[in-house]
Amino acid sequence: MLLELKNIQKSFSNTKVLHGVSFSINSGKALGFLGRNGAGKTTTIRILMGLFDCDKGEILLDGKPFNPKEYSIGYLPEERGLYPKQKILEQLIYFGELRGLNNKQAKKNALYWLERLGVLEYKDKKLETLSKGNQQKVQIAETLLCNPDIVILDEPFSGLDPVNSQILKEIIRDLISKDKLVIFSSHQMAYVEEFCEEIALINKGNIVLTGNLDSIKKEYGKNRISLDSANYSTDELNNILSNKIKDIKIVDIKNKDIIIELLNGKTKNQLINNLLSIGIDIEKFSIYEPTLTDIFIQKAGEN
Amino acid sequence: MKNFFIVLKFELSSLIKKKAFLISTAIIALLIIVGLTIPTIKNAFTNTAVDTNEKQDENIDKINYGVIIENDSVKLSDLKIQLPNDNIIAAKNKKELNNLVISDDVEAGFIIKSPTKYEYLVKNTSITDDNSFIMDNVLLNIYRNENLKEKNIDANIVSEIYNVPAEHDTEVLGKDSMKNYIYTYALVFALYFIIIMYGQLIATSIASEKSNRTMEILITSTNTKHLIFGKVIAGAIAGILQFGIILATAGISYKLNANAWNHKLDFIFNIPSNVLITFSIFGILGYLFYLFAYGTIGALVSKTEDVNTSSTPITIIFILAFFVSIFSMQTPDSMILKIASFVPLSSFMAMFIRVSMGNVSHLHIAISLILLAGTTGIVGILGAKIYELGSLMYGNPVKLKTAIKLLKQNK
Repeated sequence: MLLELKNIQKSFSNTKVLHGVSFSINSGKALGFLGRNGAGKTTTIRILMGLFDCDKGEILLDGKPFNPKEYSIGYLPEERGLYPKQKILEQLIYFGELRGLNNKQAKKNALYWLERLGVLEYKDKKLETLSKGNQQKVQIAETLLCNPDIVILDEPFSGLDPVNSQILKEIIRDLISKDKLVIFSSHQMAYVEEFCEEIALINKGNIVLTGNLDSIKKEYGKNRISLDSANYSTDELNNILSNKIKDIKIVDIKNKDIIIELLNGKTKNQLINNLLSIGIDIEKFSIYEPTLTDIFIQKAGEN
Repeated sequence: MKNFFIVLKFELSSLIKKKAFLISTAIIALLIIVGLTIPTIKNAFTNTAVDTNEKQDENIDKINYGVIIENDSVKLSDLKIQLPNDNIIAAKNKKELNNLVISDDVEAGFIIKSPTKYEYLVKNTSITDDNSFIMDNVLLNIYRNENLKEKNIDANIVSEIYNVPAEHDTEVLGKDSMKNYIYTYALVFALYFIIIMYGQLIATSIASEKSNRTMEILITSTNTKHLIFGKVIAGAIAGILQFGIILATAGISYKLNANAWNHKLDFIFNIPSNVLITFSIFGILGYLFYLFAYGTIGALVSKTEDVNTSSTPITIIFILAFFVSIFSMQTPDSMILKIASFVPLSSFMAMFIRVSMGNVSHLHIAISLILLAGTTGIVGILGAKIYELGSLMYGNPVKLKTAIKLLKQNK
């Protein structure tokens, strides 16, 4: 399955919220859908789920107009979306039935996911009596109850301890291996980097970056060098580089490493020669690979 | 449609499993059973008491009166004849009589100055004090008897002539409002109570779904019409079930205790079938109408604590409709009740009152019913649309006007 969002535009009360959102995602892969608070992620997800129509643009699945009612979509909202005062198994069966399962199947699936997520013992308890992490696990069980074709996870690791995070990681990997189409929205970039081959970064209603994460990282690391010396402190090295070497720009200092951008066609070899000629004892000289956080801050922090 | 029944089943099961529902139904039913059984219990105790303590009871019921008769104005024996069930204690002087009254040995004291004049001594006055009224009649009787005797007229004959009752039979050609008043009032009041109670319940339930974000999962799982209709109709069934249990409890309890009541309440419980049918149809539709309205209010707010404030306008309208209907019960054919019986906000109560107590044509009933059913459907669909839109409207409560404007903009 190939899901494509093409030029999605949406306004509320004359305020344009989405200015032309476009990205695509294949099944068997996870897309990291990233953006700052209020960037337009939830609006895009709601349009995708058919909660309301977009003003312009289209959503296609394998080239045909996508009707969310024809597919099973599992949606994990960022905030809790369950009845706090209802018994867990009862409400899971209810949600399962609403999405087309019969009572028996809904119960079977609910018990399976509760067991897999380690919260089976609470099945007859009211949701509000559980800890935040266990409530999140019940919410995950609700999302996956109907074996959805498309899974949208909004901050799925919220409230989970490292052990439970590990369980969820395995589940997400399992979903990807079963050829599900996973859209993963989170501010915890380490998780996005762990699962997502593709990312789409939305800022103020515009997609500012989309594509394969490795390629993006390579692109952002292009012409950038990570440098450390044995005979100078970071500050001293920074001063020396700024004053004595031409056609470079110091873009960042990370831990002890200075990140240098090569300008005007300067090559890595030329830089090494420059460094040796001014007596710098090179301890580390490597191609800089940015983290997703670096890319996020750079793109989403731009005005 | 399948999802509608799934929502209905879940919501209904949640409502009737609530402790508040079970306890309130049980308490009301118990109070009704106890209330209607009181005469039977009373009779059971009274019968045994009469057998065993008859003499004791006679003494207990007697009232002690203290008297001073000045100038032999009346005879003590005449007073005793007039008050055969009470004790008359003659005091020697006013001081002794005062002491008797203050020490509660007598209920009241009388210093009789003439057959038409006396002084009344009482410890504390109360609004239920009828001692002076009793003495007025006693002295008046003695005075009349004495005078009639002097004129050789038989006092018994005069009494018979004066006390002959005028008998009459009543044939009601229209509706007997006297008889219908109580059950009509009771049914309208029950409707009022159930709408206020379940209306708030539905509004709070929807608002809480929004505040705990369950709505986001629900509206992505099924059609909003199924959700709001399922929820409202579940609320309606729970209310009807509770009302039905209470009504059935009252009916059965009265049937079992009817003899002890000497069938005095038959006129309340023997409600004509046409009145019950009208009440059921109009009552259910009106009930649904207001539940949908309250449901819409619930979808317009994001926090349960805002429900009361936002539902005030609809509550005021409903209370006004209730009072117009109730106050027009005295004049069931009045113009104001006729108008109210066509306005869907009040027609379910007003038309029921007209059918129960006044005269109304079948055409008027049909028109009112169509208007009410149509409006209820519109309010339901509008509620479903606002409910769907509600998932986007977090924060401060949204005005109905703004919501309708947004509805026009979307889709």
